[in-house]
Amino acid sequence: MNAVPQPQAQTESRVLVCDGNEAAAWAVALARVDMVAVYPITPQSSLVEYLAKFVADGRLNAEIVDVEGEHSVLSVLQGAALAGARTYTGTCGPGLAFMFEPYLRTPGLRLPIVMSIVTRDTLTPQSVWGGHQDAMSVRETGWIQLYCESVQEVLDTTIMAYRIAEHRNVMLPVNVCHDGNYLSFGAARVELPAPAEVDRFLPPPAVHWHAALDPERPMAVDPLTGGAGGPGPAMFVRYRKGHCAAMQNALSVIESVHADWHRIIGRRHPALVEPYRMEGADFALVTIGSMSGAAKDAVDAARERGLAVGLVRVKTYRPFPVQALVRALDGVRAIGVVDRSVSFGWNCGPLYQDVLTALQSAAARPATLSFIGGLAGADLTIGHFERAIALTRAQAREGRSGGVIWLNEEDR
Amino acid sequence: MPAYNTIAFRPELCNGCGDCMRTCAEVKTGSADSANARIQISADGDTLALALCRQCGDPKCVANCPAAALDKRLADGVIAWDGSKCVNCLLCTVGCAYGGIVYNAAAQHVVKCDTCAGDPACVRVCSTGALRYLTTARIYNEVGDLEDLFAPGLSGCQGCNTELVMRHALRRIGPDTVLATPPGCIPGMGSVGYNGQTGTKVPVFHPLLTNTASMLTGIRRQYRRLGRKVHAVALAGDGGAADVGFQSLSGAAERGEEILFICVDNEGYMNTGMQRSSCTPFGAWTSTTPVGERGRGKTQHAKNLPVIMMMHNCEYVATASTGFMEDLYAKLDRALAASERGFAYLHIYSPCTTGWRFPSQDNIEVARKAVESDFVLLWEFTPAAGLQLTRDVSHPVSISEYLRVLGKFRHLDDAEVHEIEAAVERNRQFITGLAQGQHPAMARLAADRADDTGARS
Repeated sequence: MNAVPQPQAQTESRVLVCDGNEAAAWAVALARVDMVAVYPITPQSSLVEYLAKFVADGRLNAEIVDVEGEHSVLSVLQGAALAGARTYTGTCGPGLAFMFEPYLRTPGLRLPIVMSIVTRDTLTPQSVWGGHQDAMSVRETGWIQLYCESVQEVLDTTIMAYRIAEHRNVMLPVNVCHDGNYLSFGAARVELPAPAEVDRFLPPPAVHWHAALDPERPMAVDPLTGGAGGPGPAMFVRYRKGHCAAMQNALSVIESVHADWHRIIGRRHPALVEPYRMEGADFALVTIGSMSGAAKDAVDAARERGLAVGLVRVKTYRPFPVQALVRALDGVRAIGVVDRSVSFGWNCGPLYQDVLTALQSAAARPATLSFIGGLAGADLTIGHFERAIALTRAQAREGRSGGVIWLNEEDR
Repeated sequence: MPAYNTIAFRPELCNGCGDCMRTCAEVKTGSADSANARIQISADGDTLALALCRQCGDPKCVANCPAAALDKRLADGVIAWDGSKCVNCLLCTVGCAYGGIVYNAAAQHVVKCDTCAGDPACVRVCSTGALRYLTTARIYNEVGDLEDLFAPGLSGCQGCNTELVMRHALRRIGPDTVLATPPGCIPGMGSVGYNGQTGTKVPVFHPLLTNTASMLTGIRRQYRRLGRKVHAVALAGDGGAADVGFQSLSGAAERGEEILFICVDNEGYMNTGMQRSSCTPFGAWTSTTPVGERGRGKTQHAKNLPVIMMMHNCEYVATASTGFMEDLYAKLDRALAASERGFAYLHIYSPCTTGWRFPSQDNIEVARKAVESDFVLLWEFTPAAGLQLTRDVSHPVSISEYLRVLGKFRHLDDAEVHEIEAAVERNRQFITGLAQGQHPAMARLAADRADDTGARS
């Protein structure tokens, strides 16, 4: 169906040292993406430079469209997807804000676009550094959001995202979120899978079998729908309900895609949540993104000191994995949730808010505490997590909830 | 059955000079005796009447002829007279209700107009425009059998000019098309449709108001990648092109995307209730530039979007009007061809009966007056040829001829009319200057530079 010849970027699996932005670009090449639209923005810029270089070098046989802004980035990809293309882009912060109009529309069009958010704190204060505020601000727009911990996970998840997005029971766009600065520029050892293996894992694109803009299959895409009276209201509900159902379908699809990745490529990543040292844990931290590495080190150290602490990392943030999270946290007496962003309306972190809501379906009611740290590029060190562990432990002892701890407030 | 060209007469423009008759006689008989002309114009009460062969579709002269000397030629529609067969019975003259075939004493047989093989001498000498050779039949003959790719019964306002533009354009462009119709009158009248039903027979979509050219970029590029020839076409309003959609339009034009972008300029946000856009002209009433004790309509002149698009060095840029359909079709053809190589931009002025406040039957007349008064100039641009005027702009009718028929200008006082007049003149000079390769301002600039150089040396 795709008449385009596909040159091989490489034939064998190999090991390289690269940062998260380059890893994402390698994933795009391995996923045999048809069209990439780009506009540079810190800290994503090197990602689109890698893509441009890959295209220039013939490693990535994609149409690359250098547009005049992020709004057009996603608009070009919407058009391309409606013509059947597998598509990719990445952005962050102000770029995501400028993209918001087409961004908001993409999931409703049910287009399986994959877009990295190289997360960055939002303006203002003026800032060009990492933080989850951008991605978190669009958490209720109907995109799937996956948060990575490591450079390897960025590479693998970006490829897996196409299987998830293009699954017939899902057909939704996916944000692969990797932390600005810490993952975008942090170099690590990465295993690059062999293209043939990726081809076995990821079939050719199935992007526009439903809604298409194709003279061979003429249809109107997105007529006005809704209003009061007539068929509109029920039709609108059907679209919205279908979207919600697809989000829920995605939970099991994400799990099976991760299982396939392990089976075919040989690497295992947590699909929804990652329980870490939760055996017999009395209390736990909940983390998201690259901070989880330092947090795990802190948990290891605390365990050595005899503290019964564990950690649950949230990989799939939207749809929110309620059951998996509740299962992972079963039996703890206190939970400290560490956010890299702020929920202004609730005076806590947004992940904290989600965890609280999820716990409504749990049998027990553990004590909870919201930690906010790592804003605008601030480092979250083992020391910060040791404090978080100590405070959460105190909560467990006292059995009380509430309060917000701003982890970098005392940094000097 | 094909359509044919014809000579049309507007008595209100005729000054009775008689040039047409003398020229006809000269061309057909060698003498300038008007009595021998195939065209006769004479007083008929208070007005003037034309006696001329209409080259009828169902000619009674031909039916009456017992000798088969008269024949309606299928190729060009001219009713031809064959002297070798004529028996001079004059029954043909009895059949004709227009005085189009008459006995001529000098020739000693009937004579009639043969349209001078498609270039009538009478029309050429008519200085007032009372006689016109209408060649719009070409449009019918070329596109009449093509399918109208919009469903019947779109819910446009009565007399909507935009609906006319849409139907003509898409019929010509054909079915191998993906059509973008950003929010505005065009989807508002049901082209994309409502609740699962559509008014268009080609793939059609609502882009956002802001991203029409970008979405078409992705579509066109993907089909090109697949080796498929699919036209990427926009039918957009002026708001979505000149205002909030301008960034994506400019970006796509700069990149030379292979898109045909048709801007249907009705000088405002007519679908949302007639608000001002940057294409709204000075003085115009809109719902956001209302007229009241202090308000006098829009206080700025319109943005000249086609000129701005020209400055992107697009493959093709043109302005057009439904008052001049042949010109419009010729430009549509060139724009479509250019969109196979790069960005093609066609700006069609589209009077709006509802938003401009004039009777719905006057739409084409308003479109024509806009052009005839130079309020709107018809031109085209290619990188090779530069800007060329496609209609003479040197003899405009008075601007008030145009303004007075539009309710949106009804409040204007003389000073405001003069302001518009001056702007129209500036624009005429600007475009004429570009057409001649030397904009007056540029010439002045060059002169200043020369002076500076002289002063320094």
